Amino acid sequence: MKKWWKRGLIAVAVLMTAGFSMGAYAQPEKVTVVYGGSSWLGHYPAWVGIEKGLFKKHGLGVLFQNFYASSGRMGSLVAGDVDVASTGCISAIALMAAGTKAFMAFGTQDSYATVEGIIAKEDIKDGKALKGKRLAAPFASSAHVLVLDILAQNNLDPEKDLTLINLKVNEMPAALRSGEIDACAAWTPHFNKLLHMPGHHLLVDDTQFSLYQEYRIGPGPDLLVVRTEFAQQYPNTCRAFVKGYFEAVDLLTHDPEACAEVLVKLTHLSMADQMAVLRDITWIPGNQQKALMIEPGEFVTGMQQLARFLVKHGQIDNVPHVKDWIAERLVP
Amino acid sequence: MKDHQTGKSLIIGIASLLVFLTIWELVCRKGLIEPLFLPAPSKVLSRAVKMIDNGQLIAHTLASTRRVMVGFMVSSLVAIPFGIFLGSFGFFRAVFDPFISLLRPLPSMSWIPLSLLWLGITETQKYAIVFMGSFAPSLLYIIEATKNIDPLLIRAARNLGASRVDVMREVILPGSLPQIIAGLKVMLGIAWTCIISAELVAARQGLGFMIMNGKEYFQTDTVLLGMVMISITVLIIDVIFRRFERRLLPWTQ
Repeated sequence: MKKWWKRGLIAVAVLMTAGFSMGAYAQPEKVTVVYGGSSWLGHYPAWVGIEKGLFKKHGLGVLFQNFYASSGRMGSLVAGDVDVASTGCISAIALMAAGTKAFMAFGTQDSYATVEGIIAKEDIKDGKALKGKRLAAPFASSAHVLVLDILAQNNLDPEKDLTLINLKVNEMPAALRSGEIDACAAWTPHFNKLLHMPGHHLLVDDTQFSLYQEYRIGPGPDLLVVRTEFAQQYPNTCRAFVKGYFEAVDLLTHDPEACAEVLVKLTHLSMADQMAVLRDITWIPGNQQKALMIEPGEFVTGMQQLARFLVKHGQIDNVPHVKDWIAERLVP
Repeated sequence: MKDHQTGKSLIIGIASLLVFLTIWELVCRKGLIEPLFLPAPSKVLSRAVKMIDNGQLIAHTLASTRRVMVGFMVSSLVAIPFGIFLGSFGFFRAVFDPFISLLRPLPSMSWIPLSLLWLGITETQKYAIVFMGSFAPSLLYIIEATKNIDPLLIRAARNLGASRVDVMREVILPGSLPQIIAGLKVMLGIAWTCIISAELVAARQGLGFMIMNGKEYFQTDTVLLGMVMISITVLIIDVIFRRFERRLLPWTQ
């Protein structure tokens, strides 16, 4: 009788453990997730997760697909070629304004307000001094939004008071060196290179952006997004991805050196430069996501303000209700 | 009789376009296609009205037309005499043939990095992209047009005592001109395809810029409007070109 009781107890314990495990680590329905990335710092966690086997631990294979720009990545996500991605908020807001519900947002992984800004010739001392100058920024980017904001703060009309040039970040050093432009807005890693050019200095960075001062949101913060259809079809896969992803965020926070060793394969930076970039990033762990994305949802409020800003500056047509695009069930 | 035929063709053409636009509009209104992938013609039209209203559409169209016309004209001005010269002299054709063969397959976009280094982010760089995209194919058209002149005509002129310059002026030029003009009409269309590459760097105006910027903000109606405007502009220029052709080559009518 005693033996039977003991066996029963063990059986119940085994069943309960199995049950809990099933709940916590339900097997992903799909074993390969296509992730849309690039060498931008917002994609570091996905890369680290792949290289350090953090997704594999959760039974998941992640295929890292490179895209040059957020718009291309988001276009592929909406078209169904990418499952999960990190994107600049501007692309996501533009897509929301276009009315598509083909994607949902579930987190924001980083803050990098000091690695993007406007670099100017030394004689341009403040924003007002940009009047009559040639200022370059890649249009439809976070740097462009920063420029529009700084010009507005200084009562400068981008159409009349200066020459605003649409230039890609990698084309800026040559244009600055040849004197074709007087200032430019860029982000890391080019930002750091431009900053070290003799005769130039940092005019403003993202911390001067009006919404950053009010909502702690930069001109184009990173946003984690998932294809709606994918999230509905493979909920366990998405949960496993989120788990692995934020474990990678933790690893980046606690052991940046170990992460830098694998990141140089993605960024082709030297170990020293890679460590310098990592030092400029504040990683946002999984346990802060609910506060940012749902309750009180200050990041989403900031995004909403950013959408209004984009409409005010004629970049998009209407203000979407950002909250409608938050996948609350996926927020860790 | 011919006018009657042309009028009939025009009516059929307009009717087929209207049917196509109606089906497209209905498909979009029924929600069979997401507007992000294909906006309804009415949406494209309302975008056009909005952009005409704020003056942007005209400004973009004029900026692109100027870039294409300057690039194309410079390309034609170099390609016509050079092409006639190469078409008339086999030796020089053989000398330049490898270079033309190397240049011909290069897409206009491949010239962006070098043009930026050589010309910076100026308007000249944009003209250069159009020039490079249309020069080699124009040259080939002109060489072929010149080569196709009946050698009997040239020999006959020479036998009648015409000098090389006379042969060029009285036989080769009038004989090859209809084909050269036909080739240039095709090349003008090709020059317009270079506008996206030309306005990819350091442009804040132009139809190519408008398309690329619309793409960044997922404004598919803007993208489509830019495409339609390129087609309309090419059609208008084509009509002007035909009138010019009729005046220049009255014997071909």
